[in-house]
Amino acid sequence: MNELVIVVVEDDPDVRAAIVRDLDSFADGIRIDQADTVDDARRAMAEADADGDRVGLILADHRLPGESGVDLLVSINADPELRTIRTVLITGQAGHEDTIRAINEAGLDWYFAKPWDPDELVSVVKQQLTTFVIEAELDLLRFVRVLDGPRLLEQYARHTRPD
Amino acid sequence: MPATRSPSTDRVTTPWWRDRVKLGLGSAILWFASVMAIGSVGDLSTPASRMLAIFGAAVALWVSEAIPLSATSIFVILAQILMISDEAVLSLPDGFEAPTYESIYATLASPILMLFLGGFVLADAAAKFGLDRNLAGVMLRPFGTRPRAVLAGLMSITALLSMFVSNTATTAAMMAVVLPVAAGLERTDRFRVALILAVPVAANIGGLGTPVGSPPNAIALGRLDDEGLQVNFITWMAFAVPVALVLLVVAWWLLVRRYPASITSMSLNLGGTFERSRSAIILYVAFALTVIGWMTEPVHGVRSSIVGFAPVVVLLATKVFTVDDLRRLNWHILWLVGGGIALGNGVSSSGLDVWLVSRFAWGSMPTLLLMGAMAGLALLLSTVISNSATANLLAPVGISLALSDAVDLDPLLAGLLIAMACSLAMALPVSTPPNAVAYASGEIETKDMASIGLVVGGLGLAIVVFVMPPIWEAVGLL
Repeated sequence: MNELVIVVVEDDPDVRAAIVRDLDSFADGIRIDQADTVDDARRAMAEADADGDRVGLILADHRLPGESGVDLLVSINADPELRTIRTVLITGQAGHEDTIRAINEAGLDWYFAKPWDPDELVSVVKQQLTTFVIEAELDLLRFVRVLDGPRLLEQYARHTRPD
Repeated sequence: MPATRSPSTDRVTTPWWRDRVKLGLGSAILWFASVMAIGSVGDLSTPASRMLAIFGAAVALWVSEAIPLSATSIFVILAQILMISDEAVLSLPDGFEAPTYESIYATLASPILMLFLGGFVLADAAAKFGLDRNLAGVMLRPFGTRPRAVLAGLMSITALLSMFVSNTATTAAMMAVVLPVAAGLERTDRFRVALILAVPVAANIGGLGTPVGSPPNAIALGRLDDEGLQVNFITWMAFAVPVALVLLVVAWWLLVRRYPASITSMSLNLGGTFERSRSAIILYVAFALTVIGWMTEPVHGVRSSIVGFAPVVVLLATKVFTVDDLRRLNWHILWLVGGGIALGNGVSSSGLDVWLVSRFAWGSMPTLLLMGAMAGLALLLSTVISNSATANLLAPVGISLALSDAVDLDPLLAGLLIAMACSLAMALPVSTPPNAVAYASGEIETKDMASIGLVVGGLGLAIVVFVMPPIWEAVGLL
């Protein structure tokens, strides 16, 4: 694997910039790809895949031009190869129905209502990505610094290689 | 808007000679084919030449890690069965006493591996019930809250745990506790470096302490065992624990001197309440009895490998250690050690040892120089490749050399030197997995690790080569 990638899907450039700014602490070791539509996000994911990178988390707004954020997350959850990707919805306008669909059909991992708390965003992204790295059996040591180090080390202690 | 991305890494195609896998596989195959093609020459018999082919290929594969370390081990076993055993597909000269193929397979279940298996099961079960963490918490309490005392406590406990649990698992578990504390210190407080370096250094040193502390110990013991030289658990500890203690004190002193704390009080959040379920209590009893059984071998005479097998039976039968836990055991490490023992057997049964020893007038070399060279080579090699692989390669040759009449060196001493030197290599992040774990924290630099690693390694080497042998002899250990 080359890089671990977060895909941020948000059509409002200002909001997108704010999210990316809040995730600045991950910049050292994790790449953030930005997309403004679902199609754009799928393209970014395909590109990452072709380059040998791994998308670990998708942070999507719900209301987007064209397909919605929930549509994207549902389609990811339906794909066995992508199902391990952690999914976070960050939205101001998802209705009751959409929210239920996101939980039941997209296996949503976290829901943020706008406006979000930057500290909470960082902490959720950190925990979700840590879970991804463990489940995807990536090189745990590589992420000790940028993700939840103690949790990764606890996990590493259980799967050691020869001294 | 197209998806925008931060700059991605440049991908450069590596030329084949820089490609570890191709280079390792290439040289292994080249060596194997050439030596097989040349065959028996002069006093190098046909079986010995085949073993030389296997040995060289194993060197290339273990050094390059072109294939997994444990794959090289079972390659060594298969190649010996096919080439020098009584079931060999290649014909062997008359008069050569071929080892049975069963005996070659049997290295995978040799007593020392059974001892290791017992150690693994106990350690995994202890981790499962938090026994290691809770014991550490209890032991840390008397050290108080002064930073240098806490550091001493941290190092003693880490070393003690890693005498029975894998060095890497100990480091990772302790580091999970230390990281948040280190992160909570002021950015300018150098003591964070001391805290983080203390863990791998203490774990590496602790690994010296018992036969189950680290694979190189088992590899050396397995090879000695095959030559009829049995070293029991407590005897090994008598050799190694004093060395470990001296090195721990030196390492602690270096760390507190170089990275003084600016805070005056601190605490590590370790351990909680001991579990009191039926399973946990069975585990505590099994653990205690096994450790006592290991230490008292001279009294009861039951070998440590047999003592260590008992808790495997008890813990599995009582489901304290489940079949799922059994499946998750580090079997590959047992195989890795098994391959080293098989390589040693092959070198000796094929007669390659005699040929190798006769290549050089060892007798003209002072024994002390020979000891220094042996331990130095082990230290150097295991600084860059796996400690276990180094022991796998050097223990057969070093112990065979000591067994021959060519030199005046106790085989037991040769085994000890090689095993200990392998564990003393800790100067670089790649030297051992515990170092890699500490380095991954991002809180220390290679030069921090190198400066303490070189001192501990160099001093350790000097102690085991020059200081200890006369003492061991004086107290009747050798």
